[in-house]
Amino acid sequence: MLRTVKPRNARVKRALAAREPKEVEDPRTAVFVKGTTGSEVLNGVMKDLLALKKPHAIPFSKKNTIRPFEDTASLDFWADKNDASLFVCSQNTKKRPNDLIFARMFDHKVLDMIELGVESFIPMVDFKTPKAQPGIRPVIHFGSELFDTHPRYMQVKSMFLDFFNGAPMTAVSLAGLEYVISITLAPTPPNLNLEDTSASPSDLPLIHFRCYTVRLLASGVRTPRTELVPMGPSLDLRLRRHQDPDPEVLKHAMKQPKLKKADITSGLGKKVKNRETDEMGDVRARIHLKKQNLDKLQTRKMKGLKPTQMEIDGEASDSDMDPVAGDGEDS
Amino acid sequence: MDLSAVVAQQTAAQAAKYKSVAVEKEIPLEADVGLLTIIDPNPIDAEAYQADREVHLQALARDGVQALLAQVFALPTKSSIHGPLAILPQPTTKLPRAKPLPKPRMLTKWEKFANAKGISHRKRINKVWDEEKKEWVARWGYRGKNKEAEQQWLHEIPANKPADYDPRAEARKARKERKDKNELAKQKNLEYNARMQAKRDVIDRSVARSRMSTASMGKFDKTLEGEKKPRGVKRKFAPNEASSTEKERSMALISKLDGKPVSKKARIDPRPNPGRTEDVLNVRKAVKFASRGAGSLALGRSLEKPKKRTMSKTSRKKMGGRH
Repeated sequence: MLRTVKPRNARVKRALAAREPKEVEDPRTAVFVKGTTGSEVLNGVMKDLLALKKPHAIPFSKKNTIRPFEDTASLDFWADKNDASLFVCSQNTKKRPNDLIFARMFDHKVLDMIELGVESFIPMVDFKTPKAQPGIRPVIHFGSELFDTHPRYMQVKSMFLDFFNGAPMTAVSLAGLEYVISITLAPTPPNLNLEDTSASPSDLPLIHFRCYTVRLLASGVRTPRTELVPMGPSLDLRLRRHQDPDPEVLKHAMKQPKLKKADITSGLGKKVKNRETDEMGDVRARIHLKKQNLDKLQTRKMKGLKPTQMEIDGEASDSDMDPVAGDGEDS
Repeated sequence: MDLSAVVAQQTAAQAAKYKSVAVEKEIPLEADVGLLTIIDPNPIDAEAYQADREVHLQALARDGVQALLAQVFALPTKSSIHGPLAILPQPTTKLPRAKPLPKPRMLTKWEKFANAKGISHRKRINKVWDEEKKEWVARWGYRGKNKEAEQQWLHEIPANKPADYDPRAEARKARKERKDKNELAKQKNLEYNARMQAKRDVIDRSVARSRMSTASMGKFDKTLEGEKKPRGVKRKFAPNEASSTEKERSMALISKLDGKPVSKKARIDPRPNPGRTEDVLNVRKAVKFASRGAGSLALGRSLEKPKKRTMSKTSRKKMGGRH
């Protein structure tokens, strides 16, 4: 546990306030940790994943003795220290060659982890094609029915979605949809048991991680025709160990804030009718009123336009008033 | 020429010129537009996959992106300097949070008053127009307008002030006092809210306990306005048929009724005292009171020799004051 600091100046106060829990959270920051033993493939994988995750990524430059499935204390500590909630750990051993561990945190504690073995890897530099701008939000594509049915792959989907696209957005530039991360599975083996989460890795289909840049072409209609160009990196991953979230902690983590009315009008939620914000930031609204009663309109005061005695009497008897009180000033 | 023929001709020409934007799949794709995510629930075609894996994967991804773009381009847009922005709906996929939800903040005295009066919060910008300099200056902080009176190069001293009057120090003192007053109010708000929360907790706990006393666990109790429904409280039923535990439970209850109530507050003197009887006088308290909290030893000493009167600091000051 980190020592708690009492802020002594405004800068520290701001820095600590920025770390406090928020209703709408910031994008998750990922820490990239190298294990004690590496390989050329793993270095390349870590470098390319870092490039995709930037600017919400912190690479650790030194090697660390870390075995997250045996002890998560280091991850908990780093999560607190760096205010990070995602970890990618790499390790190359004889038992588990080219091993990647993705860990997700909740409240600076490990929520769940998946371990993936890199079977094949083509780095981004090997694709001599244009790359997407750094820091731009990708489109994520999941291809396979197992992402909806198999618990192991549901976890993979949730993890990758959180990793690259977890933070909610209010708006997206139509020209800013630059690249897509496609996560597709190999064909499902016919004898795959959907209930069995402890199936051996070789029985579970491979995960193909591909990145493509998107080209938008004229189509004659509003929606453009899309073509993809491989951008890299290209990874084939094999599922290995995993750690499911604790149901009690997960329940706590899945709590969502109630949306405020202001957030809904600003575009996070439903559209509000007759209301818009102009370029100056002022709210412009169209309001609907009932028909104006012109009979009660005060016009120029003239003796000839004064109500007659009969009219006054009629009004007074309606409203139960003394008729004499009306013309008191005349006498 | 027939109009329908013209339309048919044009669409044919368009089809020849452009590639289709339609995506046809056996199971329609699921999109979460708020997270720019598309899920293709169709099983992977093993034949196409075996024939040319990369081409097949790219084709699948292209179809997915095309389907998502159709939805994104149909969204309402707003203009910006970077081109049109599509306003995204709320994400439908539920993802775990990185940190727990923030705890609701207690309202300050002013905020309560403002709510009651319907005063809406307006953000006060830290800029104010300076008529002399003809520019916007900071209201507070570095070169702030609030320090103008103490930082000006020439000060006016009113005629009725003494010779050692320092207008600079006076202005600074006034500013610091305003700041301290605000700090104090802030502190008071915090203390008040903490006190109120503690009270509320006590009430909530006792209400919850009183609810347990009815057979329905408070389900049909009359509730006050704003009272929360008890959650997670379940009735427990003992088995209807006679069981071996029934006697034990009854006996446990009866033995409890017989004994004296056990309270943490009723402190029993742990030291053995054979002569002690069930006396009315609480000796420990009496000694504490008589010795003014100093204890029995100090009380004994003070009884032996009368206390020597020592002059207190204040009385000495009074006597030997300014002369």
